Amino acid sequence: MKRRIWLSVLLCCILAFTMLAGCASNESGSDNNAATTEDYSIKIGGSSTLAPIIAQCADNFTEEFKTWNKVDASLPEEPIVIFVSTGGSGFGMKSALDGTFDFGMVSKNLKDEEKEQFADGSITQLGSDVLVIGVNSENPVAQVKPNLTTEELVSIFSGKIKNWQELDPALPDRPIVVAVRDLGGGASEVFDSAVMKGNPISDEALQIPSMGALAGKIMDNTDTIGYVSSGLVNQNPDKIIPLSVDGIAPTLENINSGAYKIGRQLLLVSKDKPNKMEQKFLDYLLSEKGLKVVEELGYVPVAH
Amino acid sequence: MQYPDTEFKEKIISSIIISAATVSSLLLLAMLIFILRESWPIWSQIGVSGFLSGSSWKPLNTPPEIGILSMIVSTMWVAGGALLIAAPLGFGCAVFLAEFSPRPLAAILRPVINMLTGIPSVVYGFLGAAVLVKFFEVKFDLASGESLFAASLILAIMVIPFIVANSEAALRSVASEYRHAGIALGVSRQYLTLRILVPLARKGMLGALVLAFGRAMGETMAVLMLAGNTLRMPGSWFDKGEPLSALIALELGSSTPGSFHYQALFAAGLVLVLMVIAVNIGINLLFNRLQKRGDDFI
Repeated sequence: MKRRIWLSVLLCCILAFTMLAGCASNESGSDNNAATTEDYSIKIGGSSTLAPIIAQCADNFTEEFKTWNKVDASLPEEPIVIFVSTGGSGFGMKSALDGTFDFGMVSKNLKDEEKEQFADGSITQLGSDVLVIGVNSENPVAQVKPNLTTEELVSIFSGKIKNWQELDPALPDRPIVVAVRDLGGGASEVFDSAVMKGNPISDEALQIPSMGALAGKIMDNTDTIGYVSSGLVNQNPDKIIPLSVDGIAPTLENINSGAYKIGRQLLLVSKDKPNKMEQKFLDYLLSEKGLKVVEELGYVPVAH
Repeated sequence: MQYPDTEFKEKIISSIIISAATVSSLLLLAMLIFILRESWPIWSQIGVSGFLSGSSWKPLNTPPEIGILSMIVSTMWVAGGALLIAAPLGFGCAVFLAEFSPRPLAAILRPVINMLTGIPSVVYGFLGAAVLVKFFEVKFDLASGESLFAASLILAIMVIPFIVANSEAALRSVASEYRHAGIALGVSRQYLTLRILVPLARKGMLGALVLAFGRAMGETMAVLMLAGNTLRMPGSWFDKGEPLSALIALELGSSTPGSFHYQALFAAGLVLVLMVIAVNIGINLLFNRLQKRGDDFI
C-alpha cells in the first residue's frame, strides 16, 4: 500500500514537473522570438508547392556555408539552421503574420488587401507555378483535339459537358471525370481567375487533397481531365499529356512571354523587413543556384 | 498515530488526482469554447438550422452559400456503412475468440487483430486509393472508383479491432456460473453462446459498436483519400461524397484565417465534435436504461 502511494506521488511530481517544464520552454521560446538577434535559425512554412524548393535550397545553402560567418564575415560564427514546414498557403500567410514563421510560403497571386498586410515586410517572387490542363496519355483527346478553347474548358469543368463524345464525336462514349484541387485553395483560385471567371466548378468534380494525388489520378484514370502543376507534367512526360488552351501550348516560351495565362506566383512573404541573415538567404534563393532548383523541380523561375 | 497520517496523505493524493481530472475535462470544455468562438459569426448570421440544412457549399461566392447537409449525410453514410460491414465481422470474430477458438489460435489471432489499430490511417487511405479505387474502376467499369462505399470498406477494417476487443471483453466478463450452468444442463455450445452469453454481454457489445461509430465518424485521412470529395448530396452508398472530416482537412489549409470560409470550417468542426459527443452520451443513457431493465436478469 505504502509503495503504491509513493508511486502515485512520484507520478504526480513528474506530471507537475513536465507541466512546469512546458511553461518554462514556452517562455524562453517567446524570448527568442522577441530578440531575433539571438536566434540564428530561419523558420519558413506554408505552401506545399513551395516547400520542396525551399527545403532543397536550404539544404544546399547550409551545406555550402555551414556557419553564418562564412556567408558574410559580419555575421557570428553560428551554425545555419533553416526549418521548412508545410501547411498550405493560407497557413503560410497566417503564420508569417502571427510570427510563428519568419517567412510564409505562398503559392498564389496575392490580392491587394493581402499585399497590404505585408506592406511593412517583404514579398519576394521566386517564380511561377503554371497549371497545365492535363489528360491521361491513353485518352484519344490528345490526338483528336489537342487544343481546347476556354469556353470548352468552362463547359467541361462546370459540368455542362459530361461525356467525351459531347466534346468531339470522334471521342469515346465515356463520362468525363473532372479532377480539381480543393475549392478555395491556391490552385483552384488560379484556375478560377484564369478560366472559370466565376462559373462554379461542377459539384460532381473530384476534389483531390494534393497536386501529386491529382497528377496520380490523371495517370491512373483514362477518363480524367484536370489541372496539374507544370512541374508534375514535366516529371511525367509520357503519362500526362498537356493540352493547349486557345491555341497556346504551355511551353516555356509561352509562359515567360505571358501568353499562357493559367498560373500562380510562388512567393515568400514576411511581416517585418528581413534581417541580415534572412536577406542573405533570400539573395541565395534569387541567385542562379536558387533559381536552378526552382527550374529543376519543374516550375518556371522568375526572370532576372 | 498511524491512521491520521495515512488519511492526510490520501487527501493530498486524491486532491492531486481530482485536479488532474478536472484539468483534462476543462481541456475539452476549452476546446469546445474555442471552436464555438471561432465559428460564432456563422451561427449568428446563418443560424443553426440554415447551416445544418443548407445543401450548397460555396463559401467563396458573394454572398457565400454555406450549408453542410450533404457533408453530414456523407459522414453518416460512411460511418454507418462501415459499421454495417464491420459489425458482423467484428462480433463473429469476438464470439469465436471468446468461446470457440482453441487457445493457441486465439493467442495468434488476437495480437494480429490488435495490430490493425496500430497501422496509421494514412497508410490505410493510401492502400485504399491505390488498390480499392483501381479495383472498382476496372471491375465495375466505373469512370472513377472513389465512393462512400470504398471509404466505408477501409473504415470497416480500421474499426474491426475496436469491436472485437471490446465485445470479447464483454463476453469474457459474463460470470462463469452461466457457462457452468449451461454446460450442466447439457445445452450445445452454440446455444450457450448465442442464447445465453451474447444476450448477457449485449451491453458491452453495443458499447463497442458505438465506440466504433464515433471513431469512424471522426476518421479523416482514409476518408479524404477515398470518398471522392464531391460537393453533391450523395444519393446512395455508392455515390461520392465529402464527409465533414474530409471537408475540414481539405479546405482549412487554404482558407484565409478570419474569413467567412474559415469560420464556416470551424462551425463544421463543431458539428462533427458534437455529433461524436452526442453518440457517446446516447450510449451512456442507453446503458443506464439497459442496466435498470436488466437488473433482474443479470
